[in-house]
Amino acid sequence: MSDREPAHGATPAEVTDLVTALVLARPSGRMWKIATGIASLLTALLVAAIVVLLARGVGIWGITMPVAWGFAIANYVWWIGIGMAGTFISAALYLTRQGWRSALNRFAEAMTVFALAVSGIFPVLHLGRPWFAYWLAPYPDRMGLWPQWRSALVWDFFAIGAYVIVSVIYFYVGLVPDFAAVRDRARSHGRQLIYGVLAIGWRGEALEWERHATLARILAGLAVPLVFSVHSMVALDFSEGLLPGWHSTIFPPFFVAGALFSGAAMVILLAVLLRRAYALHGFITDEHLDKLAKMMLAVGWVVTYGYVAEIFTAYYGGDPYEVAMQRHRQQGAYAWLFWATIACNSLSIQALWWSRVRTNPAALAVISLLVLIGMWLERFMLIVTSLYRDFLPSSWGMFYPTLWDAAFLAGSIGLFALLFLLFVRVVPVLSIAELRRHAAERVDNRP
Amino acid sequence: MSPMKPEAALRDALPPPGSPRFWRALDELAADPAGRGLLAAAWPSLAELEPALDRRGFLRLLGASLAFAGLAACSGPPPEHIVPQVGRNGRTAPRSARYATAMATGADVVGVVVTLQDGRPVKVDGNPRHPATLGGSDACMQAAVLDLWDPARSDAPRRNGTPSSWAAFEDDAAALRRQFGERGEGLRILSGAVVSPTLARQRDALLARYPAARWHVHDPLRGRPADVWPDLSKARTIVALDADPLGGFPGHVRHARDFAAMRGDTNAMPRLYAIEPAPSLTGRNADHAWPVAASALPAIAAGLASALGVPADVPDLDALTRERIATIAEDLHTNAGASLVLAGPFQPSAVHDLVRAMNAVLGNEGTTIHDVPSHDTGRPLGELLEDMRAGHVETLVLLETNPVYTAPGFADAMRTVPRSVHLGRYRDETAEAAHWHLPALHPFETWSDLRTLDGVASIVQPVLAPLADARSVHDVLDLLTGAMTDDPLKRVRATWPDLDDEAWTAALRDGVVARPADAVGAAMAARKSRPGSTPLAAMAAPTGKDALELVFRPDEFLWDGRHAGNAWLQELPRPVTSLTWGNAAWISPALAEQRRLRDGDMVRLAIDGRHVEAPVLVVPGQAANSITVTFGYGRRSGIADGLGYDAYALRERDDTWHVHSVELTPLGRRTTLAWTQTHQDMGRRDIVRAGTPAHPPHGSDKTPASFYPDAPRGEYRWGMGIDLNACIGCNACTIACQAENNIPVVGKEEVARGRRMHWIRVDRYHEGPAAAPRTYHQPVPCMHCEHAPCEVVCPVEATVHDSEGLNLQVYNRCVGTRFCSNNCPYKVRRFNFLQYADLASESLKAMRNPEVTVRSRGVMEKCTYCVQRIERAHIDADREGRRIGTGEVTTACQDACPTRAIVFGDLGDDASDVARAHRSPRRYVLLEELNTRPRTAYLGALRNPNPAWRDA
Repeated sequence: MSDREPAHGATPAEVTDLVTALVLARPSGRMWKIATGIASLLTALLVAAIVVLLARGVGIWGITMPVAWGFAIANYVWWIGIGMAGTFISAALYLTRQGWRSALNRFAEAMTVFALAVSGIFPVLHLGRPWFAYWLAPYPDRMGLWPQWRSALVWDFFAIGAYVIVSVIYFYVGLVPDFAAVRDRARSHGRQLIYGVLAIGWRGEALEWERHATLARILAGLAVPLVFSVHSMVALDFSEGLLPGWHSTIFPPFFVAGALFSGAAMVILLAVLLRRAYALHGFITDEHLDKLAKMMLAVGWVVTYGYVAEIFTAYYGGDPYEVAMQRHRQQGAYAWLFWATIACNSLSIQALWWSRVRTNPAALAVISLLVLIGMWLERFMLIVTSLYRDFLPSSWGMFYPTLWDAAFLAGSIGLFALLFLLFVRVVPVLSIAELRRHAAERVDNRP
Repeated sequence: MSPMKPEAALRDALPPPGSPRFWRALDELAADPAGRGLLAAAWPSLAELEPALDRRGFLRLLGASLAFAGLAACSGPPPEHIVPQVGRNGRTAPRSARYATAMATGADVVGVVVTLQDGRPVKVDGNPRHPATLGGSDACMQAAVLDLWDPARSDAPRRNGTPSSWAAFEDDAAALRRQFGERGEGLRILSGAVVSPTLARQRDALLARYPAARWHVHDPLRGRPADVWPDLSKARTIVALDADPLGGFPGHVRHARDFAAMRGDTNAMPRLYAIEPAPSLTGRNADHAWPVAASALPAIAAGLASALGVPADVPDLDALTRERIATIAEDLHTNAGASLVLAGPFQPSAVHDLVRAMNAVLGNEGTTIHDVPSHDTGRPLGELLEDMRAGHVETLVLLETNPVYTAPGFADAMRTVPRSVHLGRYRDETAEAAHWHLPALHPFETWSDLRTLDGVASIVQPVLAPLADARSVHDVLDLLTGAMTDDPLKRVRATWPDLDDEAWTAALRDGVVARPADAVGAAMAARKSRPGSTPLAAMAAPTGKDALELVFRPDEFLWDGRHAGNAWLQELPRPVTSLTWGNAAWISPALAEQRRLRDGDMVRLAIDGRHVEAPVLVVPGQAANSITVTFGYGRRSGIADGLGYDAYALRERDDTWHVHSVELTPLGRRTTLAWTQTHQDMGRRDIVRAGTPAHPPHGSDKTPASFYPDAPRGEYRWGMGIDLNACIGCNACTIACQAENNIPVVGKEEVARGRRMHWIRVDRYHEGPAAAPRTYHQPVPCMHCEHAPCEVVCPVEATVHDSEGLNLQVYNRCVGTRFCSNNCPYKVRRFNFLQYADLASESLKAMRNPEVTVRSRGVMEKCTYCVQRIERAHIDADREGRRIGTGEVTTACQDACPTRAIVFGDLGDDASDVARAHRSPRRYVLLEELNTRPRTAYLGALRNPNPAWRDA
């Protein structure tokens, strides 16, 4: 495979030394401990909130009639969207042979897996009776009951299931040679054993490399359509409904773009933080940030197009309920959500037209954070503004979140952060194998 | 609180000697041939038990004892012979029996039918044979069954706040009788309105026995006692001067039926003008609502009288008022003899005299309005208060009244009374203040009789043995006079000597005493007083332009507060405001704008040093400078403790209905109001279709094409029709559904969040100016759409369609995604966000309909078209090998509706009411454009505005 843009200047041995050292020597940092402490507290809060939820019911949240979905669904869509970028960077750029992805794919894939894990909590816990969540699965039972195949929720269940399976396998397959590298460098018996088991007997033979490459291509080929299917299905969870603001054909591509948008923002944020924490400037270069920022700007425009198209079709179509919904969205009690979303998702990214901004880590971190916030607000806005005022004015009502809603949101962020912080300590955060190959190719191509 | 606590059981097993009623063991009942029939009716399986236990018998007993363990709060049938009604197909259902009896709220007497399931009263409906209801209900009737099973009922006598016994009170009563001697000096009795002939007989006996005793009547909300009975079935032009025949009047269930029937006839549509300071149910249904200050109303009455040719002093009126009066007078003249002018009980006598004269001039007397004997013979409360303060009262007996809460100054005066005895169902404020508190029986547990104002008498028969160690007001009066009878039945029969056994049985079965002449009623009646006409000038109050007026009104359901312990009524949205679990100060949109007040802003209302802090609610149709406060809240006991504010605190006397120059001071705080409908404007949406006789609302019979296959056609096609022209928005359907379908109450916080559980709600929409809007009511149950949006989105098939067109909810399959609710354009689905159903209280278990599942948390629920009733009809029909008959299945909401706005049945049966409704040119379906193809259809509303009427 020829790489278009080799990105770093380290030799293969340096790559392995540097990356395995992050796992084996674990340069201690106060920041890591503080961050892990906060993340653990938030995770504990999440666990406590889950216990209370199971004991008392979903009524501890602010959901009500007519707004029967709230934070839980917004969190779910948000997290699953964030997860998309990892797969996209890893698989789609792999298939299109974008060599620069090698510095990013490992932690981006990890981000995907963790985001999926966090997002998976919500569709289960938002159920009135979460202990019966398995009823969505088709399994043979004595009553002959099956899921209701016309419901988007059932297909969502399958789409997520397939996506989770492929993402986890893809992540693990990529890790096998790296686990072997860590195993080979490990001094203590315990680590040798653990990483040895994880490396499942990888010896680095040519045949193994060939099969690895084949498998990676197959998995990448599977993952890319799954990325689109899962977010299209998430979109159909809404657009199957007949509510003004949900019942829209633009939703599937709109949700795919939104997912990539928030995912790119999260990748940029994590790249900036990792690079700073572990001095990885040699691998995650300004050029990487620049490319990611361009990607974010591009999909940001697609998302903005979605906003414009929704408003345009509402007024052009002239359906009174759609028009009323747009009016309520832009001028009603939740108008601040709409305008905050526009500010975060459409306006803030315009700074990325300037290359100085695209290579400035601090500015990128701020914009990425704004985009992440904006995308959460967008999901929340889509849910609430369609539900709070639908067809019959007599049933209109407001949604006021409770402290438990906030606890679940904060706790999910804490859990994600905790998983990621543990990941950087025990798994090579950069792909050793791929970066070594770049280095080796550079050595081979020396004039 | 459960009456079957061990000590309660012991008390029942060892009754005090001479006690008139106590438990009979079931085997004693089985040994008695008469009792065996009763037992068989209640528990068929048990009556067949052989005395000698064989193996099967033993196992059956074992099963029965387990079943009884579950019905711990269950009582048995009463010992006396009671007579059930016959079922609709000529036989009495073995498991569910129906008994006719009667109930009273204040002076409003209604005939009811109590349905018993396995011996337990579970449902109350209007008695179709009783002229005051004709089968319809109001909310209080429907809620009566919860009163009966209320776990908070007082269940034992208390003396000075400590538990005591009836035996101890009997000893005390004997000592009292000795003390009263010949004349009964210092004995004072306070009761509500006396509407029971037996009670009236006992009262007369007591006053004869103790000539120095005094009987006072306190009904904080009665106002001027009614002495006329309107007949709305003949009135073409109705002018309601602060009168509420559809909501607050005695007999309002009947009046509503008559009015709706008139409105249903497009050739003779009545026209209703409502002139009132605060919107009432009548005003909300008026063709022309004219809000005026209470203080300005007598002047308008005088103006109208003068325009009709009745001599009256007419103060200066502005041009618009004069014009409107002329318009109304002309309308009244046009329909002379078929018109009706009504004054409400809160209007002064002078207005009533004017109204009487107007009806006389118009020739309405005897056609649309009849004189009735007034019930009022009691002395007023004010006299009693004076006596108490003067120390003339030694023994005060308070019979089912709560003056410590409802009468200003009573609590202080009561402290000076040496002996006080209170009889009541709850340990309320008066019970706490009295020396003796005696628990009272519920009307379903006692023998009595009641008589409506227009002379229809009913026998009150008990339908089960008492659930509490309580007695009736009759028992207590007998204790006071020493005329103790062993037999409460004999006591009531003694009031009706001319009823032979056959007539008595018929009276019990039918719920109405069939007698043309009403001798007892005449005896009860006081001589009609013709108060001399008060000069109108005396009433003309000084009204500054911005002076605010305070108007006192009863709570629409809690009334004077007597129903405050009833959680169903607490949670039922009030018809005018949709408020639950609390009261507010109603202000007009103009006042709200002027003072920059929003719904829920706390204000301080002060008058003459008395004040309360209350949240405001902006009520369209409220007179501009009138503030309405409602009674019934600010209670200091029971479930209502801490809810709302106490409007009695603003009232100086118990006959004050409005006062001037109230001060309103915003407090800068806000509070949460638990109201269920915060938007009352349809916008331009096609929700309620309305028209006039000349331009009737258009219907729709086109069904748009659909990609979905048509619903499979079963043997029956269940459907519903709701006539918006008949619906008056009284909410009786909502509470009937609650009783039928075991719908839990959720409490104030949950209602405020929007989580109420009612399966059928009544929406109201205003049209026109907010100062004087025209209002439409729309009951919304599940539409049972043929192409139901909820069914498509459920991932587990928990909501499905059956072949007869029912949209079913399978509770035990529901996982609670709530997508179905999101996707329901009518928002009729209700979700158990928390564990709402009270699974702990034993007596509430006994109250529930055994044919309806009690839902747990996490599942969705909604209107089922009373599927349990459909299934029962299926079973009956299958057993007899026939089709389900026309009109055999009725829904609970349909049964309760006082105006018969709701019809239900098989759309495939051309003879059914519902098929007829669906053929009406006014038929339309809600949100037709969504093509959900609802089985519930609406008939558009008609109003009959006067083209000559000029809006402000």
